Amino acid sequence: QLTPSSFLRIGQLSNVDLNEDVHELETELPRQHPNEIPHNEKLLSLKYESLDYDNSENQLFLEEERRINHAAFRTVEIKRWVICAMIGIFTGLVACFIDIVVENLAGLKYRVVKGNIDKFTEKGGLSFSLLLWATLNASVVMVGSMIVAFIEPVAAGSGIPQIKCYLNGVKIPHVVRLKTLVIKVCGVILSVVGGLAVGKEGPMIHSGAVIAAGISQGRSTSLKRDFKIFEYFRRDTEKRDFVSAGAAAGVSAAFGAPVGGVLFSLEEGASFWNQFLTWRIFFASMISTFTLNSVLSVYHGNAWDLSSPGLINFGRFDNEKMGYTIQEIPIFIFMGVVGGILGALFNALNYWLTMFRIRYIHRPCLQVVEAMLVAAVTATVGFVMIYCSRDCQPIQGSTVAYPLQLFCADGEYNSMATAFFNTPEKSVVNLFHDPPGSYNPMTLGMFTLMYFFLACWTYGLTVSAGVFIPSLLIGAAWGRLFGISLSYLTKGSIWADPGKYALMGAAAQLGGIVRMTLSLTVIMMEATGNVTYGFPIMLVLMTAKIVGDYFVEGLYDMHIQLQSVPFLHWEAPVTSHSLTAREVMSTPVTCLRRIERVGTVVDILSDTSSNHNGFPVVESNPDATQVAGLRGLILRSQLIVLLKHKVFVERANLSLVQRRLKLKDFRDAYPRFPPIQSIHVSQDERECMIDLSEFMNPSPYTVPQEASLPRVFKLFRALGLRHLVVVDNRNEVVGMVTRKDLARYRLGKEGLEELSLAQT
Amino acid sequence: LSLLPALALALRPAAAGEPRRPLALEALGEAGELAEELWGAGLPGDLPELEPECRQLLAAFAEGSAALTGCLGRRARPVRLCQACHRHYRLLLAQYGNIARAVGNSSESHNCAKSILTSDRLQIVVALSEFFNETWEAANCANCLKNNSEGLSNSTVEFLDLFNKSLTCFEHNLQGETVYLSPNNYTEVCKNCNETYRMLNDLYNNLQRMNRQGGESGHSAHLCIDVEDAMNITRKLWSRTFNCSVPCSDTVPVIAVSSFILFLPIVFYLSSFLHSKQKKRILILPKRIQSNASLVNIQEKYS
Repeated sequence: QLTPSSFLRIGQLSNVDLNEDVHELETELPRQHPNEIPHNEKLLSLKYESLDYDNSENQLFLEEERRINHAAFRTVEIKRWVICAMIGIFTGLVACFIDIVVENLAGLKYRVVKGNIDKFTEKGGLSFSLLLWATLNASVVMVGSMIVAFIEPVAAGSGIPQIKCYLNGVKIPHVVRLKTLVIKVCGVILSVVGGLAVGKEGPMIHSGAVIAAGISQGRSTSLKRDFKIFEYFRRDTEKRDFVSAGAAAGVSAAFGAPVGGVLFSLEEGASFWNQFLTWRIFFASMISTFTLNSVLSVYHGNAWDLSSPGLINFGRFDNEKMGYTIQEIPIFIFMGVVGGILGALFNALNYWLTMFRIRYIHRPCLQVVEAMLVAAVTATVGFVMIYCSRDCQPIQGSTVAYPLQLFCADGEYNSMATAFFNTPEKSVVNLFHDPPGSYNPMTLGMFTLMYFFLACWTYGLTVSAGVFIPSLLIGAAWGRLFGISLSYLTKGSIWADPGKYALMGAAAQLGGIVRMTLSLTVIMMEATGNVTYGFPIMLVLMTAKIVGDYFVEGLYDMHIQLQSVPFLHWEAPVTSHSLTAREVMSTPVTCLRRIERVGTVVDILSDTSSNHNGFPVVESNPDATQVAGLRGLILRSQLIVLLKHKVFVERANLSLVQRRLKLKDFRDAYPRFPPIQSIHVSQDERECMIDLSEFMNPSPYTVPQEASLPRVFKLFRALGLRHLVVVDNRNEVVGMVTRKDLARYRLGKEGLEELSLAQT
Repeated sequence: LSLLPALALALRPAAAGEPRRPLALEALGEAGELAEELWGAGLPGDLPELEPECRQLLAAFAEGSAALTGCLGRRARPVRLCQACHRHYRLLLAQYGNIARAVGNSSESHNCAKSILTSDRLQIVVALSEFFNETWEAANCANCLKNNSEGLSNSTVEFLDLFNKSLTCFEHNLQGETVYLSPNNYTEVCKNCNETYRMLNDLYNNLQRMNRQGGESGHSAHLCIDVEDAMNITRKLWSRTFNCSVPCSDTVPVIAVSSFILFLPIVFYLSSFLHSKQKKRILILPKRIQSNASLVNIQEKYS
């Protein structure tokens, strides 16, 4: 007979005829022990659950809706606006906090190191300065990396892939917790102060999302506080809307780009979009950038000035030299091509590195050591570059924050030091705006080369840090180099202002690495404050994306894939129409009867080998064959609440005083339902019956067996489903389609591929 | 009818042959005279000549600005703008203020400010005064003048004294030697003037620090141009011409330390590659129908 575990061989597509199938069964059967393989990109992890965006329209829900009148729904709408405003304000404040702390700590560090270098330049012994710098960096990064590695690993990296997954409907454990926020904020501060080649902009998006998730729920489980407000929003659908608002507010605070923030959320989560939501999200973004702006302007001493809308400010690009002419557009497109190629190279290198890290550097202490080493090497490379550079620029009239003299004549500073001896944000702005001639081409070339590898090496470390600023910096450096060589070639034409090319190079490089399109264009446009740059930036980003996609995919998608996340893209793979629901679904399905024995429910829930979350409810026929007509769908979380409150048929008959269960009881348990092991069910109670008809979702979405994969996919993606029941023409449950069943089909290099499931 | 007095007023000076043209303009004579004759002929047109008071003010302003321009030009290199020209500048400011405030003796609205400053498109007086103001701002002269901008501030005077002292020191010590000596032979200067140079340098740095603290608003981080330029010249002389500041370059230890640090990651990655246990993933076999055939099997079994 067929046992469930012996149905197929992994990683192979269907269309096997009967003979082969039999043959296979013989080879498969002996292999009962778990099949171990090294980590690779063609896996889906079991760790990731799906979020439940489908509203369970059970009787409790209907009752509640009947009870709440029209006016109450209006207050719900007002509450949504209030929450959005609060999201904006808090995101802005967090951004301010990060900015101010980074500025002060980094300033302190650079002053100490500069003082030391100045001292030792006269007397000799610069190797001590090098040691001091490297040790300072390494120790700061050590703290930053330790809190991430040991306390909350999900706070590592920029957080954009995680938020992308969340908006896609994947539940990443711990991703929107308050603890994550705290670790993230501290981690970002420490890694930027530690001098790594990272930025603080990407993590702002994650921070905004966590803030949104926290505020909209009106409580924090990390703090064990429940403020008893906003209880209506305690479910995945509402939370997702607020999280997208938070992500938008984060982008807006990071770049001073409210519209870009809205479009970012739109790009990542467009399947559930509507006008009112857009308008609310825009409101949150605007509030966020305004809060940041006003607080920072008070901090900088010129209140009411409102001159710093984002964490990074590209400065103004509005003098006439910065304008562009139509002849330059082909040059910009060429820069886009270069950016695409360099971006692809960056991603490919980072891919190998990340693979190595997942396979070999998985212990937290190793991760901390690695981060420390990268920090020390970053400082060393910077120091050696500064040491070897003979590019001196007069100190007068320049706006260098920490001018290092080193071997330059008195009254001059080392121009390599402006790039390396500074926070990356400041370096980017310097590259955009320093007058022509501030850098010599050799300096820029060496800087680009070194920083490229450093940034590539840094991304994926166990520290919280973004990749936006390093990409911009690499791009700005080679863009400026490009501009300088262009003006050499054309014998100093007026239009070849290097700052403009630095901007285009930055856009090209960033586009080549992250492959964002619309939102990135708008973000760049808003950050430069110049609408006329929209067209060339769009062209550059487009070219970079096209060229880059030819080689490898974007950095974020790549990391999502390496994490084995069941991510659903916009569309099903194009060549998958021949696959039907029958081949996609999982079967046999564990079904529950409408009136089920408690013991059976507990056993099913406790079974670790089949960790299902949704169970079709079928008609409880006494003369039961195994399959009967589908009546509804019930979730694991609901069952657990039912068991916890002991809503059994017998008990209801015995004691009429028992309180009727309300929707509120389910909401209070959200989002962390207790595990089944924590619920005690006595031997007597196991014999009781439980009636599910009142709690199940009576109208789950179903598809017939013959539906093609793209059809199933569309339904699943657009509605944000978690479970899709496959039925035959007698309405009997045949199988169940979940996220992992759909996400495993992917268009690879040789056509359609199938990923395998793995425990990670 | 009410136009008549105004017209008379306008024509009077011209009729009296009054207009005193500056000598320099004599060359332009013909055309100007023609124009005046046209006026004299009483052409309809509201072309009022300036009142004498206003003309005096204007002349004063012209002279003031000429003087200031001359001063600025002469003191351009080496830069001594603020020291030399602040009196001219102050005077000019006063003259401009006079124009802006002055009211002509006619009770009509024709005051000097209006007719001089705003009655034509070019507004040359305003433009000139703006130019001077901007130059003054750019040079940051206010920074080395006293608060009421009378005379140089104490710190500036002190700095300039020290500056002169070090220049004298340079001169003294260079006297024995020829200018064409190879750069290595400036050791005398370096040794003898080191102290003065250090003092000058320190004073300059102090001034800068004080300035940065004082100017909370942040934008005027510069000292005034005279001081900056003086320091610049001295520094250039010191480190470029005399080659006095020779930093100790200790390349060997730096190379040693940096190669040690750069070597660490290689060790780390190699050791973790060799010793760390590779993480394995356990594959899970999903429950799935493989083909139509097996589906048929199931169907048969169930029904």
